[in-house]
Amino acid sequence: MDIELIEIRDFLKQHHPFDLLPKEALEKLPKSIEVRYARRGTVLFEPGEENKFLWVVRTGAVETLDPEGNLLARLSEGECFGVRAILRGGIAVNRCEAIEDSLLYLMPVTEFDRLREAYPQFAFFFSPMGGDRLRSARELAETGGENGMGLMSAKVRDMLKRPPVTTSADVTIQQAAQQMSKEGVSCLLVTDGGKLIGIVTDKDLRNRVVAKGIAYDHPLSEIMTTDPIFIQADDYLFDALLTMSRSNIRHLPIIDNDEVAGVVTTTNIIQKQTTSMVYLVGDIYKRNSIAGLREVVKQVPAMVMNLVDTGASAHNIGHVVSTVTDAIATRLLQLAEEKFGEPPVPYSWIVVGSEARHEQTALSDQDNGLILHDSYDEARHGEYFRNLSKFVSDGLNDCGYIYCPGDVMATNDKWRQPLSQWKKYFAKWIDTPEPEALMLSSVFFDMRSIYGDESLYTNLREFVLKKATGNRIFLSFMAGNALTHQPPLGFFKNFVLIRGGENDHTFDLKHNGVVPIIDLARTYALDAGLSEVNTEDRLKAAVEKKIISQAGANDLLDALEFISITRLRHQARQIRNSQKADNFMPPDDMSHFERNHLKDAFNVVKTMQSALASAYT
Amino acid sequence: MWKRIFGPDLRREWYLLKMPEGPMKQFYRKPIPWPETDYRELEYLCIDLELTGLNPLTDEILSIGFAPIVDQNVILSESAHYLVRPSGDLPENSVVVHGLTDDRLAEAEPLENVLPHVLMALSGRVLLAHHAPIELGFLNVACERLYGYPLLTRAVDTLELEKRNRLQRNQPIDGGVLRLAKARETYNLPRYRAHNALVDAVASGELFLAQAAHKAAKGEKLMLRELMFKNR
Repeated sequence: MDIELIEIRDFLKQHHPFDLLPKEALEKLPKSIEVRYARRGTVLFEPGEENKFLWVVRTGAVETLDPEGNLLARLSEGECFGVRAILRGGIAVNRCEAIEDSLLYLMPVTEFDRLREAYPQFAFFFSPMGGDRLRSARELAETGGENGMGLMSAKVRDMLKRPPVTTSADVTIQQAAQQMSKEGVSCLLVTDGGKLIGIVTDKDLRNRVVAKGIAYDHPLSEIMTTDPIFIQADDYLFDALLTMSRSNIRHLPIIDNDEVAGVVTTTNIIQKQTTSMVYLVGDIYKRNSIAGLREVVKQVPAMVMNLVDTGASAHNIGHVVSTVTDAIATRLLQLAEEKFGEPPVPYSWIVVGSEARHEQTALSDQDNGLILHDSYDEARHGEYFRNLSKFVSDGLNDCGYIYCPGDVMATNDKWRQPLSQWKKYFAKWIDTPEPEALMLSSVFFDMRSIYGDESLYTNLREFVLKKATGNRIFLSFMAGNALTHQPPLGFFKNFVLIRGGENDHTFDLKHNGVVPIIDLARTYALDAGLSEVNTEDRLKAAVEKKIISQAGANDLLDALEFISITRLRHQARQIRNSQKADNFMPPDDMSHFERNHLKDAFNVVKTMQSALASAYT
Repeated sequence: MWKRIFGPDLRREWYLLKMPEGPMKQFYRKPIPWPETDYRELEYLCIDLELTGLNPLTDEILSIGFAPIVDQNVILSESAHYLVRPSGDLPENSVVVHGLTDDRLAEAEPLENVLPHVLMALSGRVLLAHHAPIELGFLNVACERLYGYPLLTRAVDTLELEKRNRLQRNQPIDGGVLRLAKARETYNLPRYRAHNALVDAVASGELFLAQAAHKAAKGEKLMLRELMFKNR
């Protein structure tokens, strides 16, 4: 009968993580919702107050601020908040305020818990993960934790913490229930001579015994699930998760050498996954050799695949992967300082390109540089920084971040320079925007300091922004540069494909998909003097500065996310088929739905490119 | 005081005394919401009807959708949607309007089965509709016919409220701005594509929350009287 509330269902379905829910769960969802209207300026909850809902923004916008008043998030249509309060037992940690007139959907916590319990992929979205949580992971690791374990390398066996709780089929239902409550378990494995023959869960006792009014003295065999699905102890944990979500079950017996060894539940898988994410980074800081770091890095491709499969956003994945890369370089720098001693003058290790933008999605080549303090003296300090750069760059290469083909690395004398020299570089690029200068600009304008004296970097950044902001001539060149990569769409909205060669009949999701959006965002950022580096952050900040419209930014953000996640899925598929991951998408590999969405996404990019062209050139 | 003596509240008490048991008496057990109450303290029932025409005496109800507002939240878990079986055949033009066919309505329930659910949900609550005279008129006729008593209730009409607000603020009221979808746009409420009695009921409920939120001054009371529909 819920068909009448189809509007609400369709809205939720369009937004992550509700899109991960199966159809039958989505159908029921609207009936649990309460709808509230909040005028701009209405405080929805304050720290310490009770919050019993997961909130979803239907229209309008909401800000989350920490108790000190720092802005944590600005949430718009389709985004959720109130999660931290729920996870903290219903007491709000942050302050939430409507910053526009907003219509809000409220999902009671009981319903939210039920969904998380039933659908691991949904729960995964809300489990601690992503950038800031990785940062706290680092702190956690520094205070010493248990030994880290890789995400994909984790085996089902690792979940075996206690001997299995088993019984035989001829005990009574009541005896079985008593055993479950004594052992504190939510399911019981039924065995015959060590062999698994059935399983009984809490839910079975509710649905098959109490609800049906079966007497408690009947044998357990009457109500158990016979020949349950199971998993081998040597299978990957990830397979267990997939099996469970595929069959929509929450308990999966583990078999080792034909014998029952235990059971894995959705709850402990999710706990496991997040801790392994956390420890992956934590682990890096405990490794003392390049070989040790390489071990950690090896897990990255599998981690990306796993994140793609569990429905993480491309934005999140980029953040996670870049954070791992940052951590590897940071650790190498620490090791270098141990080896060569304290630096003679302050320096800042900078990264440029996708890592700087927090948009790295795979092991790519390294792009880095060194900003040295102006007290640097080549004769006295040159050797130290040559050694340090070589150590780190070689280490990164050994870990899988291969040398940059364009030689944008701190080992190149040109990119290992005092602050004043860096300023000269940028001044020249901005004042005489020649083709090479523009190419270097688009690389070096996406820059971030990851280690050392950050003030060197911020000083440079302020200088650059001041020089570029509002500089019409330079901006018009940048805009022209941003138009060099076009979305692969023909005049009649059909895909324009690469012809001939190795990548015949494909299109390039990177250069014709993601890069045009990155270029647009960079141009807006330079125009408005924005210090943001991440493309999403840049677009959002550009809206604040009224460089682009909210609608235009939203469209671009959606397009970016869709193209990026399509690219990641394509790569995950290739890795799974033991192929080399690339950016070349054959349209035939996509569903009708994906094709249409991709066309829409490309169309957005095209529209924004023409707007840029008319505004700047 | 005069209004109180001859108003619906006293008549309700009189009906309670003489009325036989049944859905209508159930409805009258709870007092009719008192106008001098802060609107936030009251509960509402957003209702929308789909009809064969606009005359309560000759036209029929085809479907009823409703959802309550409690604590300023539209509670969808208590919402409902009923298809009503008309006594006669459908005139052709309303089929076109609502996409309801004789076939689908054959599965519907007669009004006497549906009306008790509506009355139970409405009891003690303020009736809320966009262009409330329609809902008030049709439900009143239905009550008279089925139970022999009129439906005494207080109502909020989001259309009339929007008109009043706009006139007060010297804003124009032409160009369809009072229509549900247009009025909602003014308050940054989403556009709903589907149209059925429940979606429209929820839509009018959301509109009311927005209208009231914009009218109410922070921390000050706003009485139902100021928002209420005054037709009698």
